[in-house]
Amino acid sequence: MYEFVTGPLAWIAFGIFIIGMIVKVISVIRLTSQKDKVVFNHWSWGWSFRSIYRWLIPFGSRSMREKPGLTIGVFVFHICLLAVPIFLLGHSIMWDERWGISWWSFSEMTTDYMTLLLIAAALFLLIRRIVLPEVKIVTTAYDYLLLAIAAAPFITGYMAYHQWFDYKTMLIIHILCGEIMLIAIPFTKLSHMILFFFTRAHIGSEFGQRRGAVTF
Amino acid sequence: MAEPAIDTNVIKQRLAALKGGRFKTWLQLCAHCGYCADSCFFYQAHDKDPKYMPAYKVIQTLGKLYKTNGEVSKEELEKMASIAWGDCTACRRCSMYCPFGIDIAVMIAATRAILCSQGLAPDALMDAVKNYWEFGNQMAVTEEDLSETLEWMAEETEEEMPGLTIPFEKEGADMMYTINAREAKYYPQDIAEAAMIFYAAGENYTFPKMGWDDTNLAMFAGEMKCAAHVVKLCYDNAERLGVNRIGVTE
Repeated sequence: MYEFVTGPLAWIAFGIFIIGMIVKVISVIRLTSQKDKVVFNHWSWGWSFRSIYRWLIPFGSRSMREKPGLTIGVFVFHICLLAVPIFLLGHSIMWDERWGISWWSFSEMTTDYMTLLLIAAALFLLIRRIVLPEVKIVTTAYDYLLLAIAAAPFITGYMAYHQWFDYKTMLIIHILCGEIMLIAIPFTKLSHMILFFFTRAHIGSEFGQRRGAVTF
Repeated sequence: MAEPAIDTNVIKQRLAALKGGRFKTWLQLCAHCGYCADSCFFYQAHDKDPKYMPAYKVIQTLGKLYKTNGEVSKEELEKMASIAWGDCTACRRCSMYCPFGIDIAVMIAATRAILCSQGLAPDALMDAVKNYWEFGNQMAVTEEDLSETLEWMAEETEEEMPGLTIPFEKEGADMMYTINAREAKYYPQDIAEAAMIFYAAGENYTFPKMGWDDTNLAMFAGEMKCAAHVVKLCYDNAERLGVNRIGVTE
């Protein structure tokens, strides 16, 4: 089983993730050039990057400043989500053993705490969905599922690292959860991982270039 | 509200036409995060009643139309009309608050266009669209009405500014002057005041017989063919008169 999830299944998961994302991007650009030419009429690289930059840094936009709690929660969640799997020592060693490529990694204690932070942030996002009326009213089962898909690799990874229950089984579950997430990204709202940059670039151009925003 | 029967096929066509790169991505992406809620003054003014949060309003209108592919009852459409016309001004503040930059207000505007195609729009707006097609302005002012109003206003200013005339259909003027149809219909003194300024400034301008209404309510109704017609009227007449500029008061 371990050989299967780290062998063929890993290939499939990474393959679907990478090819899926490429297809996604190409199809969005194609569809836009066919049916939404207006997007290109007002396109501005300057405003695009300005808008993306402003929304990538914490408190870079007005709405982020108005909801500081959510902003901190969201940034903790996303930073840990991206950094932990890439800079985890255990993962690094696997890459090194299999492919002979190695890069810098965090200490095990750092990633351990970051995982806890991520789980806390996920809990915060979950509670928010249940408690706040303006979030609850738009929340569907799909939203909970996505949060679960995103948080599961970290919860199971934490359990495996601390050797709760049977280590080998836990590790396989952890790897499976990670692969489910990778496969889910191109097909779900998680595709905002890449589409975020497109929609932000568009609205940046829209309000900046087209509406002639001026900055002082 | 007018009362024609619902044409589901038209709704379907409109929905399909909208589904380009923007709408498809927007509808796919919304993470239901709630960042947009506080941007909306309807939401704020109703003591943060979640029914007024922008994403919810889109879900209840355009979202429902897509989910059902336009197969909705008249009552449901009327409910959507009440949201799209009554609970949103399409000010686009929510679009600026969305982390993904989803243009929420544009989706409401698109919903309005669909509703308008089914006769579900404020009467005044539907009348304006009809008038643009028939008279070239939103208030059914005829060419004769306008030229008479201009003459009348020139007379009114006689004492204050002797010799003032208001040019009408003057070819080769520097500027074609356009107004809100309301000025010709209800507030002609606005025309007189502008004419006095132009006269004092020695401006070489003219009113055209058509294309002088620079409002475009058809755009708000999402009647894009009519909206284009209004703009085209203006440009065609400017070209016909051979002016260098178009003056827009709105």
